[in-house]
Amino acid sequence: MLSKLSSFALKGIEGYKVDVETDVGNGLPHFEIVGLADTAIKESKERVHAAIKNSAFDYPIKRVTVNLAPADIKKEGSLFDLPIAISILACNEENKIKNEKKYVYLGELSFDGGVKKVKGVLPLLISARQLGYKKFIIPKENEVEASFIEGIEVYPVSSLRETVDFLKGEKEIEMVKTCKFEDIVKNEYMGLDFSNVKGQHVAKRALEIAAAGGHNLLMIGPPGSGKSMLAKSFPTILPDLTFEEALEVTKIHSIAGILDLKEGIVSQRPFRSPHHTTTTIALTGGGMHSKPGEISMADNGVLFLDEFPEYSRQSIETLRQPLEDGVITVARNNQTITYPANFTLIVSLNPCPCGNYGSKEKECTCSAAAINKYLSKLSGPIMDRIDIHVEVGNVTYQQLKSEEKEESSQTIKERVDRARNIQLERFKNEKIYCNAKMNVPQTRKYCKLDEDGEKILRNAFDRLKLSARAHDKILKVARTIADLDGSENIKASHVAEAISYRTLDRKYWQN
Amino acid sequence: MDDFKEFLVFLSQFDYTHSKFEQILNCVGDNPTLKKFCKTKFDEKVLSKEHFEQMVNLADKTMVANYFTNLQNDDITLLTKYDEDYPEKLRGFYDAPFFLFCKGDISLLNNPSIAVVGTRKPSSYGKMVTNKIVGDLACAGITIISGLAYGLDSVAHRKTLEVGGKTIAVLGSGFNKIYPTDHAGLAREIAEKGLLVSEYPPSKTATKYTFPQRNRIISGLSDGVLITEASFKSGTILTKDFALEQGKNIYAVPGNIDSNLSQLTNDVIKSGQGMLVDCAKDILDDFDLDEVKEKRKIDYQLSMEEQIIVNILSGGAKEFDQIVKESGINTNLVNSYLTTLEISGIISRLPGNLVTLN
Repeated sequence: MLSKLSSFALKGIEGYKVDVETDVGNGLPHFEIVGLADTAIKESKERVHAAIKNSAFDYPIKRVTVNLAPADIKKEGSLFDLPIAISILACNEENKIKNEKKYVYLGELSFDGGVKKVKGVLPLLISARQLGYKKFIIPKENEVEASFIEGIEVYPVSSLRETVDFLKGEKEIEMVKTCKFEDIVKNEYMGLDFSNVKGQHVAKRALEIAAAGGHNLLMIGPPGSGKSMLAKSFPTILPDLTFEEALEVTKIHSIAGILDLKEGIVSQRPFRSPHHTTTTIALTGGGMHSKPGEISMADNGVLFLDEFPEYSRQSIETLRQPLEDGVITVARNNQTITYPANFTLIVSLNPCPCGNYGSKEKECTCSAAAINKYLSKLSGPIMDRIDIHVEVGNVTYQQLKSEEKEESSQTIKERVDRARNIQLERFKNEKIYCNAKMNVPQTRKYCKLDEDGEKILRNAFDRLKLSARAHDKILKVARTIADLDGSENIKASHVAEAISYRTLDRKYWQN
Repeated sequence: MDDFKEFLVFLSQFDYTHSKFEQILNCVGDNPTLKKFCKTKFDEKVLSKEHFEQMVNLADKTMVANYFTNLQNDDITLLTKYDEDYPEKLRGFYDAPFFLFCKGDISLLNNPSIAVVGTRKPSSYGKMVTNKIVGDLACAGITIISGLAYGLDSVAHRKTLEVGGKTIAVLGSGFNKIYPTDHAGLAREIAEKGLLVSEYPPSKTATKYTFPQRNRIISGLSDGVLITEASFKSGTILTKDFALEQGKNIYAVPGNIDSNLSQLTNDVIKSGQGMLVDCAKDILDDFDLDEVKEKRKIDYQLSMEEQIIVNILSGGAKEFDQIVKESGINTNLVNSYLTTLEISGIISRLPGNLVTLN
C-alpha cells in the first residue's frame, strides 16, 4: 500500500517542497528511508516507531520504505518525523485517516507520541504559501511564529494521537489566529537608553548620524570609556522594523534556531556582538549543516565588533562583500546558499594594545611599532566601508555624577525617523533607501556642494592631510547631516561637521 | 676621479667603523691607491686575512667605477673626510664619520641648524610643543635635524616640511633599508625637499648599535640640540651626552614633574646641562636671528561662536565635551566650528578628544 504526503525543507532561507512517500509491502519487517537523508532523518525511524507504538497504534509488521523526493537534494533536520509517521499510519486502512493529502506537515516526534518544535517554520510556511499551499499542520510550540502570515490555515498539534483524530474528523483543532505585526511591536531595549550615557557628546552625535544615514561607524577610545554601552544603545535610536524586514529577520532567526518562540517574530532590530574568537564560518554562515552566520543574524540590525583588531584578518576581510552587497553567498561542497546580510557595522577599538595611548591620566606602555601594527589591521578595503570614525574619550567622575539631563533615545529617534523619511522620498526611484548606500554616480547627483562647502573640503584635504578615500565618505555623511537638519542643500557647516568624523584619516594618529 | 678618491670610494662599500678605516689608511701608507692596498700586508688585528681577501676581490677599477655610477644613479652623493664639501662642523671630532652618504641638498649641512630629539612615543603635550617650536624655528630659516624615528623625530620632520622649511634626517641604516619602513614615504619627501644623511653604505640594515652611533652625527651636525620630551629610558639621553661631549648647546622644554616623559628634560634643566626654553625665540636669540622672519599669517575672520570657542581654549587644551558645556553651543555646531578653525590653522585636535590653540 502506498501513501504520499507533502512536507517542506529548507535551502538557505527559502523552503522547497518534499514529498514523503511511504510504501508498506510484504516482506521481512524492515524500515528504510531513502532520498539523501542526513543522520537526524535516518534516526527518525526509531522515533517514528516508538511514537506510533506509544500512541496505541499498530506498527505494521511489514517491509516499510519511505522516500523523500526530490531524491537528489540532501535533506537535514527532524521535521519529517510527523509526515513519515502519518504516512505510515495512512497506509493502514484500519486507521481511517482521510483528507491527509490536503495538508503540509512539519514536526518532530518524541517517543511518547508528542509533537515537538522544529526550526525554520516561518520561512517554510512563507515559501509554501507562495507555491499555493493553504493548509498546514505544525507543532503547537511553533504556533506563534505562524500567526503573522495571512491567508493560510494553520493547525497546531501537540501529539500524534491528536493529529490522527483530527484527520479522522473526530476532533476539532482551532486554527492559529492571525495577529497584526503593528500590535506586537515593542520598543523595550532592556532599559538601554541614550539618556543613561553621560557626556560623550561627539560619540552620541556620530551615532545619531550613523542611524540616520545607515552609515557604518568606528569608535576608538581607551578601555572603560563607554564604547560598548554606546553601541548597545544604538538600536534604540534606529527606525522601527517594517513588517517585511521583520519577516526577513524572523526567517533567519528561525533557521538559526535563536527565535524566541513565545514572541514568534523578531520585532526589534537585532543587535549581534560576536566575540573576537568567533571563527570566520560562524560569522559568515555555512558549515556542514548550513546555518546563517552572525552577520546574517544581524540582518536589518547592528553587527557590533568590539576590540576590532583582535579579530582574525580573515574574519575582517570576509566582511567586505556583505558590506558592499548586503548578502553573503557561501559555497559548500553540496550547495551554494545566499543569506541576507544587510547590517550596520559598528566597530570599536582601543587606540593601542594597552589602551592608554593618548590618555592624559595613564601612560601607554606599547612601543610605537606595536601601535602601528595594531592599527594597521584597519588599513585598506575595510576602512573604505566605514564612513564615520569617532573618538570616545574618558569620562570623568564629575561627568558620571552630573545631574544634567541627557537627551533620551526617543527624542533622537524622532530626528532619525525624519531624516530617514527624507531619504526614502529622495531615493524612491533608485532602489536604495539610505545615504550610506549611494554609489558613485548617485553621490555626484545628490551630494552637490555650494562654493563655500567646496572650499572647506579643498582646504581640509590640504591642511588636515585627509586620504583620498575620505572624499566620498565626507560627502555622504554631509548629506545625512543636512537631512537631519531638514536642509535640502548641503551647507558649508554640514561639510565641516562631516570632516570632523574622519579621526583615523588624520595625521595625528601617525607616529 | 683620481686614484686616492677611487680608493676611498672603494672603501666606502664596506661596513667598518670610522676607526677601522683610519687604521686601514694608516697601514697602506702615503698616497694610498687600490694597487697599494692590494699589496699591503695587514696585521690580523686590523684586517683579518679572510676580510682582506674579500676586499681584494672587489678591488678592481671597473667594479669601483660601476659602484660609483650606481651611487650617482641613485642620486647619492658620497662625502669623505677628505672632501671639501665635508661639513666643517663634524671634521674636528675624533669619532667623525669617515664617509657620509647624502641624498638631497648637501648645502644644508652648513646651514645654522638645530637637532630636535625626543621620545618615540610622545604625549599630546610633547607633540604640541614640538610642532610649535619646530614650526617657528623652521620658519625663521633654521634647518631642523632629526633621526627619522617614530614619535617626535617624525613630528619634527613633518612639521618642517609642512611650513616649507629645510630638514635633515640622519639614518641609522643604509638608504635602501629605511627604518622604520613606515617612514619610507617621509624619507622620500625629505630627500626631495631636504637632505638624507647616513654613514652606512646603502644596503646596510639597521641594528641595535647603529642608532646610538647615528645620534653622534645628529648632534654633531647641529649647532644646538633641542629636547622636547624624553624619559630617562629614551635613546635621547645618548644624543644629549654626545652633545655635551661635542660642546653643543642643549635646550630643553620643561614638563610636568609627575610626567615620566619629561624626566630627562626636567633633569637637564635642573642639573644645568641645558637651557630652559619655552618658545623658539629663546633659541633664536642664541643665533642672532630675527624672531620669525615670516610667520604664517592667519587671515581669518572669526565668527562670534568661533571667538567664544577660541576664548575657552585660551586657558589651555580642553576636552570636546568641556567645550560643549562651557560654550553652550550644540554638539554638531561645535564640531563644525572646530573643523573650520582647524583648517584655518588656529587650533589643533589631538588624540584623546583634546583641542588646543596653536
